[in-house]
Amino acid sequence: MELQKFTYDNKLSNLFLWATVIWGVVGMLVGLIAALELIFPQMSGNLPWLVYSRIRPLHTNAVIFAFVGNGIFTAVYYSMPRLLKTPMYSKLLGGIHFWGWQLIIVLAALTLPFGFTQSKEYAELIWPIDVLVVLIWVVFGLNMIMSLVKRRVKHIYVSIWFYLATWVTIAVLYITNNLVIPTSFTHSYPIYAGIQDALVQWWYGHNAVAFFLTTPILGMMYYFIPKAANRPIYSYKLSIIHFWALIFLYIWAGPHHLLYSALPDWAQALGVVFSVMLIAPSWGGMINGLLTLRGAWDKVREDPVLKMFVVAVTAYGMATFEGPMLSLKTVNAMSHFTDWTIAHVHIGTLGWNSMMNFGMIYWLVPRLFNTKLWSTKLANVHFWIATLGMLFFSIPLYFAGFTQALMWKQFTAEGFLAYPNFLETVTQILPMYYLRAFGGSLYIIGALMFVYNVVKTAQAGSFVRFEHASAPAKELPKAKEGFHRRLEGRPLQFTLAALLVILIGGLLEIVPMYLVKENVPTISAVKPYTPLELEGRDIYIREGCYLCHSQMIRPFRSETERYGEYTKAGETVYDHPFLFGSKRTGPDLSREGEKTLPNYKPNSWHFNHMQNPQKVSPGSIMPAYPWLIENEIDLSHTVAKINAMIKLGVPYGDGYADQAVADLNAQAEQIAVDLQANGIQVDKNKEIIALIAYLQRLGTDVYKNK
Amino acid sequence: MATNHIKNDHNEDYEIDTMTNQRLIKDHEYDGIRELDNDLPPWWKWLFYICIAFAIVYLIRLWVFHSDDLIQNREYEFAMASAKDALPMKNSATFEIKILNDPASLASGKETWTKICSVCHLLDGGGLVGPNMTDNYWIHGNTVEKLYQVVADGVIEKGMIPYKTQLSERARLEVISYILVDLQGTTPAIPKEPQGTAY
Repeated sequence: MELQKFTYDNKLSNLFLWATVIWGVVGMLVGLIAALELIFPQMSGNLPWLVYSRIRPLHTNAVIFAFVGNGIFTAVYYSMPRLLKTPMYSKLLGGIHFWGWQLIIVLAALTLPFGFTQSKEYAELIWPIDVLVVLIWVVFGLNMIMSLVKRRVKHIYVSIWFYLATWVTIAVLYITNNLVIPTSFTHSYPIYAGIQDALVQWWYGHNAVAFFLTTPILGMMYYFIPKAANRPIYSYKLSIIHFWALIFLYIWAGPHHLLYSALPDWAQALGVVFSVMLIAPSWGGMINGLLTLRGAWDKVREDPVLKMFVVAVTAYGMATFEGPMLSLKTVNAMSHFTDWTIAHVHIGTLGWNSMMNFGMIYWLVPRLFNTKLWSTKLANVHFWIATLGMLFFSIPLYFAGFTQALMWKQFTAEGFLAYPNFLETVTQILPMYYLRAFGGSLYIIGALMFVYNVVKTAQAGSFVRFEHASAPAKELPKAKEGFHRRLEGRPLQFTLAALLVILIGGLLEIVPMYLVKENVPTISAVKPYTPLELEGRDIYIREGCYLCHSQMIRPFRSETERYGEYTKAGETVYDHPFLFGSKRTGPDLSREGEKTLPNYKPNSWHFNHMQNPQKVSPGSIMPAYPWLIENEIDLSHTVAKINAMIKLGVPYGDGYADQAVADLNAQAEQIAVDLQANGIQVDKNKEIIALIAYLQRLGTDVYKNK
Repeated sequence: MATNHIKNDHNEDYEIDTMTNQRLIKDHEYDGIRELDNDLPPWWKWLFYICIAFAIVYLIRLWVFHSDDLIQNREYEFAMASAKDALPMKNSATFEIKILNDPASLASGKETWTKICSVCHLLDGGGLVGPNMTDNYWIHGNTVEKLYQVVADGVIEKGMIPYKTQLSERARLEVISYILVDLQGTTPAIPKEPQGTAY
């Protein structure tokens, strides 16, 4: 057989590698800032772009899409050519992919802290950036597909199965969840509303975890663990079974983010059972990773790369067991909205994602620079400090989660809430927030050691841009092959099969939510927001209030006692986007405006509270939002916003946009007059007025006829 | 990775991973990565079967038997109904509205004040959104009965919410006693201007 000569170009994997290193540190530091802001709420001062609620999305986006994302691309651009025995198809497409992705990250950093956000978690980026994301994703896909066409090996390896499933699923999820009607170049409303929007968002959000933080990392694992350990994969059979089971089951599990919400019981049940069924397929990946190390355990003791991988895969196993447990309704009743969730995701991100990235880069840098790792000892220290940091991060948050959940649910013997003041349940867990910040700091110190080590390694060697290789041309298909083996020889069909498998779950959940009317029973008292309330709602979104305040009262006595009647699906029909939130760092605001409920506050209270939360609630960890009192409401898009809402089916009536601004001013006047009567002088055109209008409207509609 | 070649009875060539003595799959070689074909661990298979069985039973219970514990409205109604039976103390019939002068009641009243009332009236009673509680000016009267009514039913239009769902009858009296006995006549750091009429 004649050998064909070709060359691997390491340029792009090297670029992606350094992007991973840089954004990793940046993303973690932003996380630390957010953690510190929860302890020192005055930290952001008068700087809107530094406030916790704008920084937190920057942290999540940075670590997911910049740190893990670039790590994934490093793995793909390094492993794929070698697994396919061909260089990546196009240097140009690769270059566009790399620089385009970095541009997206920079744009995210330039928009999120400045309040440009869609408010859906991990889908916060505004629509023009979304368009760019889709374009770059297509470039990435094209480069992969064309490389597959040019390949010299007949069958595609399991890593590539995972890369392809990742690509096709993320494309479907990202586009579906980001369908919006723009009202300006920086603002839009999603086409979905309320509970339906919530279902689409968490179908996306959950599968961002599945298909961005899991499947591509499994692809990475299947390449780098056997390479680093020099051991064969434990079981090809297991690869097949767990791959297909994982992608088929994962897509259904989204509704477990909405347990005990206004989502219909049938959809919640699907979220529960598919999450439980995911345990074995997830553990299939863990087993295949760990058992591949059979015969190499003596090396694990010495080699920081393998140590990182072992902790990563173990953390993956822990997180994928805990996830299904959190999806059981009885557990979720306690864990949801608390720091338990934060602890859970950080086992996944600090344990699984970051450790895989660290291990891969420790293995890769010496190879890309033709040298040895500068200091194995320092890498070992990094390993220990990172593991400790992860524990110091998570354990206090688990404790905080249990504590707060128990306090929220505690009743006195007389039948009253034991802690009617939400703030008490916050100050109780503050020591845990200190410990979390300490754990995070340890983790970052480890990451800095990592940076130093890989920079030193790169300096000690010289970059090997080209590696020459040779392989025979692709063989012709053999007559006798099993079904799956045949599929492995046909990447396009393989990708289509993966697409089909992931579409089943998505379609069967989302379509009935739209077509079957009983899923969202109408409530006639529920009316659209007034223009002022709508502007206030957009300010609520801009400031990221939903990151700490939920708007979803669950049907528990402890919640209806505290917050009022539980939230109904029909109450959310004009909410583009939904604002249920996923964390209660502060109290739920679903019925904040309802005067007959314990949480009601007068306009003047809200004014004073936004200006200086600690003045009205000593010990509160809410940051101040003084700029709301200075900024004027932006009326330049009010008409466009109302028109967009009408287009989305919100019944304002034809031509209402013409009178929207006049109505807005009249309502603002009333609030300004009321504030004045309580000794507060403020112009009616300030943002605080719109925000107060929105807060005072929240949850009141269904109480009107009582 | 060390491997051995062996031949079986039919003279076919096999490659063996020397460390585990297991057969490597023929032609499965990707950039030097080889694959074994171990069977799925039995415990893993059972775990999967059990989870699938759980799912089937769960869905049948919801869709066929409409089990109460899987329908959240019913679960809520049930929880509320059982809470009602368990709460004989919420509204006791024999109850006298009067000042409680004993130190224990005043201490407990102070606790409630700190937890709840201080949000609007400040810790030292100087007033913030709510009126000053240390001076002798009252908007809704200064008798224990009048105060009790304000605490229980609130003054909604002014932002004072009803506390009858948060404070027991006794707790309401204790905090009123704390106001009338301990807070009245003290000098707060930043007193709010008088509101209402002097008594």
